[in-house]
Amino acid sequence: DQSLKPQIAAPQLATNNPTLTTVALEKPFCMFDSSLRPNKSYVIYLYAMKESASAISSLVTDNSSKPLDSTFQQTSGGQLGPYKAALFNVPSCASPPRLSDVEDANKVSDVLKQYLFRVGDDGTCLYDPNFLAVCNPPLAPDTTYRFKYVLLDSTEGIMKDQTLWSDPIKTRRVKLPLKIDTWPGRRSGDMIVITSILSVLVFLLLAGFLASVSSAVM
Amino acid sequence: MAKSGDGIHILQGLLVFGNVVIGMCGIALTAECIFFVSDPHGLYPLLEATENDDIYAAAWIGIFVGFALFALSILGIFGVIKSNKTLLLVYVILMLITYAFEMASCITAATHRDFLTPNLFLKQMLERYQKSETVNNNDKWMTEGVTKTWDKLMLQNKCCGVHGPSDWQMYMSAFRTTHSDADFPWPHNCCVMDARGSPVNLDGCKLGVPGYYNSNGCYDTISGPMNTQAWGVAWFGFAILCWTFCVLLGTMFYWSKIEY
Repeated sequence: DQSLKPQIAAPQLATNNPTLTTVALEKPFCMFDSSLRPNKSYVIYLYAMKESASAISSLVTDNSSKPLDSTFQQTSGGQLGPYKAALFNVPSCASPPRLSDVEDANKVSDVLKQYLFRVGDDGTCLYDPNFLAVCNPPLAPDTTYRFKYVLLDSTEGIMKDQTLWSDPIKTRRVKLPLKIDTWPGRRSGDMIVITSILSVLVFLLLAGFLASVSSAVM
Repeated sequence: MAKSGDGIHILQGLLVFGNVVIGMCGIALTAECIFFVSDPHGLYPLLEATENDDIYAAAWIGIFVGFALFALSILGIFGVIKSNKTLLLVYVILMLITYAFEMASCITAATHRDFLTPNLFLKQMLERYQKSETVNNNDKWMTEGVTKTWDKLMLQNKCCGVHGPSDWQMYMSAFRTTHSDADFPWPHNCCVMDARGSPVNLDGCKLGVPGYYNSNGCYDTISGPMNTQAWGVAWFGFAILCWTFCVLLGTMFYWSKIEY
């Protein structure tokens, strides 16, 4: 469907989203149902690009509607154009995962896998020369990214449908711990009371001591 | 005697009573301070790394002052009953010195309590937890102390960070330089653990799914015992000093009235 956009995963489920280098997106439930034909096999590609790349290129297919095979390295992490971040099967529209099932420790892995996809999850595939699948390396912090889902007929290898580019999603930025101000502020009341009263008492004691010694000497 | 016999006897009785109370309070102070110094909650490494562990110094002084108060109260009782001017003079002078030390302990405990703010522990946690490159032995000792203490705190109290797990996401840290955000948005000790000590679901923990990570901060479990210690030493010491003030004034008056 050309009017739908990829959505960020439900915030009440994935509370830590987006993080510094990852973004968890909801899988495209019921977004391509009008384009699915029976007896054909489909696969979904997820493309990611930095928002600044839309000025250079935001095409995900070539002239013959074949989806691009661009990788993270080729596009400098999405700076020069979109790169393919993932491929997975079409999620079931008829029986989507029940989000309440996450409370069950046995089902939570399956629910999370069926419901969302975490862009930036794989920290090692960039540096592994033996890695052959689609590499999904961590994103850059404090950067705005946009995402797109593409429906592909796996036998013909041609794009059948795509969503719009998602709304811009920005990864977090960090503050330096040096900037944390550890000054405690003003003195607490306890401390002022204790110090002042004890000082007065000590003074009176010393005065009393001097008075009794001098009265004994005289 | 310059005063009537009854008046002097009442004063003697009051002074003996006052010294008995001082002796008992001295023992109580020693016991309380030994309890604090023994660090039952294991929080001392955090204070040591802030280089601001003076509430412990106050507790150490309290141990010795408490014992000194007990010993001096016995001397005082003896001196009052015997009406011995020399003994009482020694008693008063030594008590004044002890008074000064206890005053130092109270003021130190109250003052340094003010420095223990959430930001102090936050900064220390971010700069020291799992710091990989330490410059010298002192740095290494403090880093290991902070790391072990935080690991234990997070596991036992089921908490994460000072204000919450978002501390790890909002700030750069020594931990972040060695552990990538994709694998460790926060330390794995922040995850809900199963019986064998491994996270129940690591993906749930990384995504922040409620029920699979500890969402509350550890500040309360840190500041609670430290506040108790600081206020315990400061206010109990203050109470003892107020009582001792009255007893000492009475003793000086009694001393000046004794004739050789």
